[in-house]
Amino acid sequence: MTKRLITRAPGLIGRRSFLRTSGAAVAATGLGGFTGVRKAFAQDYPSRNIDIVIPTGEGGGADRDARAFTSVWGKHLNTNFQFGYFPGAAGQVGYEFYMDREPDAYSLLFANLGPEIIMLALQDTGIEVGRDIVFIQQTLSEPMAVWVGPNSPIRTLEELVELGRSRPITVATSRLPHPASIGMLALGEAMGMEIVLVPYGGGNPTAMAAITQETDCAALPVTNTIVLDDQAHVLGLFADENVAPEGTDNAPTVNDALGTSIPELTSSRAWGVHRAAYDAHPDRIAALVESMEATLADPDYTAAVEAAGVPTVFIDPGDEARAMASAAATTELARRYRDLLTGS
Amino acid sequence: MELTAGNLLELFLYSASMWWVIIPAVFIGIIMGAIPGFAAHNTIIMLLPLTLAFEADIALTFMVALYCASHLGGGVPAILLNIPGTGGAAATTLDGYPMSRKGLASRALALSFVASILAGLITSALTLFVLPYLSQVGFYIRSVEMVVVMLFGLALIAAIAAQDMIKGLIAGAFGLMLGAMGADHIYATPRGTFGILELFDGIPLVPALIGLFAISEALIMLEEKSIAAGHSKSVTPSWREALHNIGDAFKHWFLIIWTSVLGLVIGVMPGAGASIAAFVAYQQARVFSKTPEKFGTGHEQGVVAPEAANNGVTTGTLVPLLAIGIPGGSTAAVMMIVLQFHGVPFGPRLFMQNPMLAYGVIMSMFVAYIFMLITLFPLTRYLSRITIVANYYMAPTIVAFTLVGAFVPRSFIADLTIAVGFGLIGYVARKTGYHVAAILIGVILGPLLERSFLLSMRISGGDPMIFFSSNIGNVLWVLLFAMLLASPVLKLLKKRRSKGDIY
Repeated sequence: MTKRLITRAPGLIGRRSFLRTSGAAVAATGLGGFTGVRKAFAQDYPSRNIDIVIPTGEGGGADRDARAFTSVWGKHLNTNFQFGYFPGAAGQVGYEFYMDREPDAYSLLFANLGPEIIMLALQDTGIEVGRDIVFIQQTLSEPMAVWVGPNSPIRTLEELVELGRSRPITVATSRLPHPASIGMLALGEAMGMEIVLVPYGGGNPTAMAAITQETDCAALPVTNTIVLDDQAHVLGLFADENVAPEGTDNAPTVNDALGTSIPELTSSRAWGVHRAAYDAHPDRIAALVESMEATLADPDYTAAVEAAGVPTVFIDPGDEARAMASAAATTELARRYRDLLTGS
Repeated sequence: MELTAGNLLELFLYSASMWWVIIPAVFIGIIMGAIPGFAAHNTIIMLLPLTLAFEADIALTFMVALYCASHLGGGVPAILLNIPGTGGAAATTLDGYPMSRKGLASRALALSFVASILAGLITSALTLFVLPYLSQVGFYIRSVEMVVVMLFGLALIAAIAAQDMIKGLIAGAFGLMLGAMGADHIYATPRGTFGILELFDGIPLVPALIGLFAISEALIMLEEKSIAAGHSKSVTPSWREALHNIGDAFKHWFLIIWTSVLGLVIGVMPGAGASIAAFVAYQQARVFSKTPEKFGTGHEQGVVAPEAANNGVTTGTLVPLLAIGIPGGSTAAVMMIVLQFHGVPFGPRLFMQNPMLAYGVIMSMFVAYIFMLITLFPLTRYLSRITIVANYYMAPTIVAFTLVGAFVPRSFIADLTIAVGFGLIGYVARKTGYHVAAILIGVILGPLLERSFLLSMRISGGDPMIFFSSNIGNVLWVLLFAMLLASPVLKLLKKRRSKGDIY
């Protein structure tokens, strides 16, 4: 075995530096505590930490992507970030708690413009995109994928369709209000298949259902499958083209393979703020947007995304107009499939 | 990668060289595990800025040691104060606290520490050698099998109800009813939430646990002078007696082995966890005990089984993350964030690109338990003195600490109200002879059972025969019915034997 299990990255703490720093800290505390340690900020905003509301649980894709972003954003905005996780009711809990926060641009929502917008369109939350929340910056965007576990007998989309014409196809999905669910329903409609969506309440249990073959296949954002490496075999993508062929077994797009015309289905990450904060503090919003753009252009962010296992081709900076247009398009799709997604 | 003796020795020495991480992590873990609400994953989240600043192997060692220690720490208040520090220690209260009431707190702590540490050592050593095979367990456990596993846990309600069948079943059914609150698993439609947003994700476990056990216990405490009133001499054993208690605990080695392996296997199942493992282990230990009637009265086996199982789970929970790349529980999910932050792959790629880090995680666990072995045993002599502290000091201290714990996981003020509400429910239940553990089992296992049940039914298109469609599931059904029948049959045989009917 090598002396160290992994290579030390610059800036990380090792044993010697830990013991040295701990000793210094103890000594400093003994001499009357820390003085002058707190960083003095020249700017008025932000004068304290930024709260980040994540409407899903810790350890999920949103957590991964938000942390990759903030690991670099801190140096451009000159502040620290506090994460809060509010899963439940397909994201509704997180959004409602976010709306209860003070609209002062110190609370930000890290949103998923796919499933969460569908949730807002289908569930009675009283929250309206545009009127209550504004998405000021899009960061990443990835297409939906349909995939199977490594031991599944289904190896192509054509085989899935053939099977689907003889019996209902069970599809593991994170939740019903999700672009991947819409994609599978659209596929079923186009190819004459009965699709049974089985919501597992998160990307990890959904992936496990496909790997164990509890369901015939799974439909999730494509990064979930890329991270799983050879535990996942991608059958097809709900996209116009496959921009990450290496991590997806060079899978075809659904439309190319089956001749369908299903719209591109994506899941985009975006930063949201209260409309009230947007209107009352344009200077703060400008500072946020400017630092977000600087982060997205920073090579360190590309490295952080890559380190998190997400293909860098999915970095997709988009301004407010683009993020809001993406949300509006998703709302439209959700309304189209409302009955199937709500069981009504 | 083949694990050779040389590799193992090198891994062991490397992990041992992390003493400067393991020792603080063990103490933080024990303290945080002993305060309901802080537990491993909340503590790790709070310390995430620190762990992200460390190198990946140091951060993982820290988190693993803290995780193991918190499971051990959860048993301490369960025994001394009838307050489980974590859901996994809820079953420990059933016999641990009655032992404390008899002035045997030190002995119960020795049993808990020995069972926890031996279980951790056995399961981590076992995992090192059979990790590739163990990871296969996850591939065969689906919603159908999970339904039966949950029923194994729920069977403990029946065991508790044995003392007073009607009240036990009412308490269990009440818990299941509370567990059904929240958004439904398929359409996310809120049920029984009274429009309260904080209940949309179901009854929060930590405030419920704190209310049912800690707050209700604090109210009961005020009616007595101290927990072990009248046993103050036996509460503080001599060093010789303390060592004797520890030695005696090793007599339960066989029970420790099989319940820890049971915990390991349940830990490997994604979605299962320490609570389920401890409930199932307690129930199984009772079924196979020669003296099942002593369970619930301060029986040593009733402390050993759940503690061994919930520490067996710690290793098992990491297996899906290491072998497949999918976290088996909330703590493993946070560990995944740290791996991702450092760009370390997980799942099969971890074994291909960095196998020593993968095995190093398990070895760190093994070494952490060795450190606990050395550092914790003296505590059995001193911690037990808590039971002779006057209750008018203890009760308000418990309420203050645990209410902070109720707030920590979600930072909702409403969770304090929920904890107090459950405290009143627990108090009334205790005063009227209903078992709060039966209510908690319903609250914990109800939503998990419902989820697995609904997923299975959706996959089958509403055909209930799906529950008998898998070989593993069918074996589990047979074992479940055998277990349910074993207890009354053995009781009947014993009765006849005592009457001289059969030999």
